[in-house]
Amino acid sequence: MDLVDFVQSITDGLLFGATYALIGIGFTMIFGVMHKINLAYAATSIAGAYVSWAVGTLLPLPALVTFVVAAIGGGIVGYLVYLCCFKFIPVTSPLATLLGTVGMLILIDEIIVHETNGMPQPYPALFDDVYFEIGEFYGIRGDLLFIFFLSLIATAILLYILYRTKLGIATRAVAQQPVAAQLCGISIERTNASTFVITGLLGGLAGAMIGASVGVLSPLLTLPITIKGLIVTVIGGLGSIPGAIIAGLLVGAFENFFQALRGVTERDMYVMLLLFAFLTFRPGGIFSKTTSRD
Amino acid sequence: MKLSKLLLTTAAAALAVTGVSVSAFSADREVKIAGFGAKSGVVRSFGVNTEAVMKAAVKHINDKGGIKLGDGTMGKLTASFDDDRCNAEEGISVLRRIASTDAVVAVGPTCSNVAEPLFGILQKKVDDASDSGLQMPIFTDTAIKGGLAKISQWAFRNVPNETVMYQTMFKWLMGKHPGIKTIYGGVEEDFAHSRFTWYKVMKVRSAEAGYDVKGESKWLLNDTNFTTQVREMKKAKPDAIAISAHPFTTCGVLKEMQRQRVKPKLLIGLTSSSSLETLNGCAKQAEGIIIPTSFAPVTDDARAAAAATAEMGGSADLHSAAAWEIVLILADVMEKQGIMAKPDTLQADRRKIRDGLASLKSTAGLLGKIKRTEEGEATKPYLYVHAKTGEWAVLHDPSQQ
Repeated sequence: MDLVDFVQSITDGLLFGATYALIGIGFTMIFGVMHKINLAYAATSIAGAYVSWAVGTLLPLPALVTFVVAAIGGGIVGYLVYLCCFKFIPVTSPLATLLGTVGMLILIDEIIVHETNGMPQPYPALFDDVYFEIGEFYGIRGDLLFIFFLSLIATAILLYILYRTKLGIATRAVAQQPVAAQLCGISIERTNASTFVITGLLGGLAGAMIGASVGVLSPLLTLPITIKGLIVTVIGGLGSIPGAIIAGLLVGAFENFFQALRGVTERDMYVMLLLFAFLTFRPGGIFSKTTSRD
Repeated sequence: MKLSKLLLTTAAAALAVTGVSVSAFSADREVKIAGFGAKSGVVRSFGVNTEAVMKAAVKHINDKGGIKLGDGTMGKLTASFDDDRCNAEEGISVLRRIASTDAVVAVGPTCSNVAEPLFGILQKKVDDASDSGLQMPIFTDTAIKGGLAKISQWAFRNVPNETVMYQTMFKWLMGKHPGIKTIYGGVEEDFAHSRFTWYKVMKVRSAEAGYDVKGESKWLLNDTNFTTQVREMKKAKPDAIAISAHPFTTCGVLKEMQRQRVKPKLLIGLTSSSSLETLNGCAKQAEGIIIPTSFAPVTDDARAAAAATAEMGGSADLHSAAAWEIVLILADVMEKQGIMAKPDTLQADRRKIRDGLASLKSTAGLLGKIKRTEEGEATKPYLYVHAKTGEWAVLHDPSQQ
């Protein structure tokens, strides 16, 4: 691998890693607020993208509007996931909610498969015909660059909501001290529901970005994105949004670099080694305080 | 008087009803064909199409009166279809369940990774008393990986021979485009069919035809990012690119090739990609891709089969259309072997069907005569198609040479 290949791999990985970051943020926010893992989150994201595709088949939409519809679709599906897997299932039973989300992941996947017969569906992209070439073998995809900046904007909006609005303050209060938050008059149920809607909006956008980056939507996307999202969440630190962003980019770059260096069949092995390294040496993730093992 | 008239009427009615029931029983003796394959996950469309084709073919036969059984009565075909999720364990479980019903023959599966272990649970050689494997004839329509039927004498396939198809196609392409000298491959590394076809068929046969194989890029079935692989293709600067992958990743790679402006003079695809899925996902980018296929609606029979399948809500393509031929072949074999379709003749009927299939030297097919090999495989007529303005169009018919 020469220097150009190295830089190219890292660039591609970082740009594509932005979508992992968005998925990781969703996982981590839900965990931060409810201290529960929502394994259906990536499926919610892809479902949001499918909602926008379905709307697009009925009514031709510009790509940007399609992405907005995907976000709204993700928000709606996110709320449904909350109702089915969290609201009516006792929170004292962590396994029940976890298995509920596994079931929801499979259910969403199968609904998509049955509605589309598993066929790949074309998905619009913005700037997919733009390719910035520097020399013969170095280039940056315009659509990935757009996705990267859109992800940054979405994250900035999310951080604004979390740190500058009443809803955000309530969300953080419930995440940090649920009992005290309740004593202050904050409705835990409403905060939980709004967290699912907000993360659903973000997830729908992430699903749309992933669909746009491939150019095709497929139910094949849900499982790998779920796995990548979980890895990003663990590496970033459960509950840490800045951690999820950095981890998303890191995993994207790491994955792409090792794909170029060692080939596609070994690529995921190195990503898993990275995960194990974090679990062993920094179990709290990138932004955790130094912790020691028992 | 009134009472005797009533009794007479009742007796006559009872006789008529009994008579009708008897004749109805005779006419409706059912011959069950159990289809199975993938109806879940990303390969669901394969199962949906095969089921539609099977039901259309069964209707086609039943509309003509059904099949003549060994005792001279007419039997009606029925077809069921079970989902094996393209999973080996589930496929084996489905087949064992089918074997416990009164189905006389099974048609399936979709995936080669199911077919291979599945054929392994069948009795390897007929009349081998030491082998307790299942004694159930299976006729495969889709699982295409080379040479699988030889695993068991109860296994038969009606799938195209990719080795022959690509061998002749590369030779033809070499003659037609003598300026194209180099080829580069793209392979879905974790899918049995794609992998086998690139390494054992496309790569070997293209080299035999005189192409300089410059290498291959690899990706996985679930991959979403193909920038590295397409860059490898770009660096190799091949005249032609052959993609051995299924529609989802084929489309992903073709779109990435468009972004990176990789424009080979010739684009070759995997047999399984000559389907609606590819055109649905990336018709624009797939424009011009050449694929050998054993089905295209170019004959009256093929057009009729495609129309009947469409009425059943499916699509006849390279894989599913084979199920039409299978049902027609089975109906013919059942008649010639004189199966009885009775509960007490079930195993004998299965054996008769197996023997009948094993004795076939050739059968009728939608594109012409299909030759049968001693190993239970088919040598089917084929065409070369290419994607043209969002449709598959016939590029060349090798039988016309």
